[in-house]
Amino acid sequence: MSGLEFVRRTVAYTVLLLVTFLVCFPLLWALSTSLKPAKDVMSTPPRLVPREMTLENYRNLITGKQQYYRADQSYVPSTAAPQHFTSWFANSVIVSLGSTLISIVISTLAAYSITRFRYWGRRIIPYFSLLGYMIPSIILVFPMFLVMTELSLTNSLWSLTFGYVSITLPFCMWLLWAFFRGIPIELEESAMIDGAGRLRVFVDIVLPSALPGIIAAAIFSLIVSWNDFLFARVFINSIENLPLTVGVMHFFEGTHVDWGLMMASAVLMTLPMAVLFMLMQRHLVAGFGAGAVKG
Amino acid sequence: MRAADATADWKAADTRIGIFFVLPFAAAALVFMVYPVADAVRLAFYDHNPLRPEASTFVGLDNFRVIFEDPLFWQSLRQAAVWTSCSILLQTIIGVALALLLHLPLRGISVFRGLLLFPYIVPTVVIALILQWMLNAEIGVVNWSLKGAGIIDENVYWLASPNMAMLSTIMLNVWKYTPFVTICVLARLQTIPLELYDAAKVDGAGALNRFIDITLPQLAEVLTVVVIFRTIWTFNKFEEIYLLTKGGPGTSTFNLAIYSFEQSVANLRMGVGAATGVVMMFLLFAGSLIYIRVFRFAEDDTP
Repeated sequence: MSGLEFVRRTVAYTVLLLVTFLVCFPLLWALSTSLKPAKDVMSTPPRLVPREMTLENYRNLITGKQQYYRADQSYVPSTAAPQHFTSWFANSVIVSLGSTLISIVISTLAAYSITRFRYWGRRIIPYFSLLGYMIPSIILVFPMFLVMTELSLTNSLWSLTFGYVSITLPFCMWLLWAFFRGIPIELEESAMIDGAGRLRVFVDIVLPSALPGIIAAAIFSLIVSWNDFLFARVFINSIENLPLTVGVMHFFEGTHVDWGLMMASAVLMTLPMAVLFMLMQRHLVAGFGAGAVKG
Repeated sequence: MRAADATADWKAADTRIGIFFVLPFAAAALVFMVYPVADAVRLAFYDHNPLRPEASTFVGLDNFRVIFEDPLFWQSLRQAAVWTSCSILLQTIIGVALALLLHLPLRGISVFRGLLLFPYIVPTVVIALILQWMLNAEIGVVNWSLKGAGIIDENVYWLASPNMAMLSTIMLNVWKYTPFVTICVLARLQTIPLELYDAAKVDGAGALNRFIDITLPQLAEVLTVVVIFRTIWTFNKFEEIYLLTKGGPGTSTFNLAIYSFEQSVANLRMGVGAATGVVMMFLLFAGSLIYIRVFRFAEDDTP
């Protein structure tokens, strides 16, 4: 390795480390705060590596124990409603999985149909979906709320599940359409010449080759529904039916904002997405490649 | 050789299967996409109070008159333009720079790729909460560090002064969505033929010249797509601002989405909120038309 090359590499690694630190700092800081005992959370100088570590904040969130803070000689509840955290978490999981399942099943069938059959109107479906996924949620949310009111579904997890389908369905459709177009048709044709029926071909040949696209669409769908705040804010009004995103906002209602507890919930809220990200990074990039990312 | 070899009867049955497969999508699209959008347009012409839905009345273009005569609407539009253009400019520059960095043939680069793309999947609520904590004027780590480094003497009110609040929401947006630009650019970089660079090296072109003459033209197309998409989405963002500043202090970080939300939820004027939504959709379709004009894509649709 030449001297110049060595200098170049050192500079590149230094810049990379610096940028990575800056980008990751908010999450590191949240993790650090969440692991500090209450007395250290606001102490100065702020330390990235806690002097003492405790899982107290996490324990309180999971067991739903109310935490008390000392203010002016008296103990006051630091945050409202930590006892709902586990139900919020479960709600988020249920509605994310539910809306993703619905969107994926519907758009997989439709993507197969419009790329393999000839009938009137099939060509407009991808463009229609593209327009659909450009429509911002703020426009959909109130009409959807009126629909849910008509169906008496407001304040239920169903309303959220269906609400998220209105966001995730168009881009699952767009992504899977792009993906299905790219799957060579020859294999299916030879199987059909050998006498296999459509359904048989679909299940045995098409689904396995479409799997990477389906996984990518599912990941994006999960990310979008897990992240949503607006639909839940408008649709749900009883505290125990909230998903995490709106639920944790109730932690601001106490007399004192308990930043330790707040950061612990931020970490727990990121965790499922982080695991998904690590397991599925390859597919995530494939999805970006198909150009079907909502963001 | 395709299914055309089969008999006409069989083909008709086959098409029926195809239509059967697309039916769930058609139904879901009608209920969850077409109907809400149509209803949003209808609402824009009605005076609708969600607490008294039975008193909903047709008011023609009144809602549009209300928003066009409302200084706050124009202020929101201006702020949205500032917010969007600053965010997109920074995201594009930083995103391209990061992509070039991550494209280097270094050992362990995939670890950095993973870490630098991570913000994209962090929920907006999470980063908004963390920034509220970090940017807290009295006890936040940002002010403390800046003071420690001697950059500022007084605490900066990141979320409580209008300009700083705007800057903070831009920072949040740039942090979260730069990875989107990076991934798209990185994917394109990996497909540029290396021979192009070899020839330039032989000609003695420096790194900067090679970037301007070879890399940038190759990236032009993907950057155009990314910028158009990101502009459309960023312009209409709600949560990225609302969760950090609630549109405040005052109305200094309102954009059209927050304006629409406040009209519908705080003022209970769903019609006015919907009219704002129609204006947003109009702007969005204009943006999409540009996209479709620039890339008359998919002429080569499957048969």
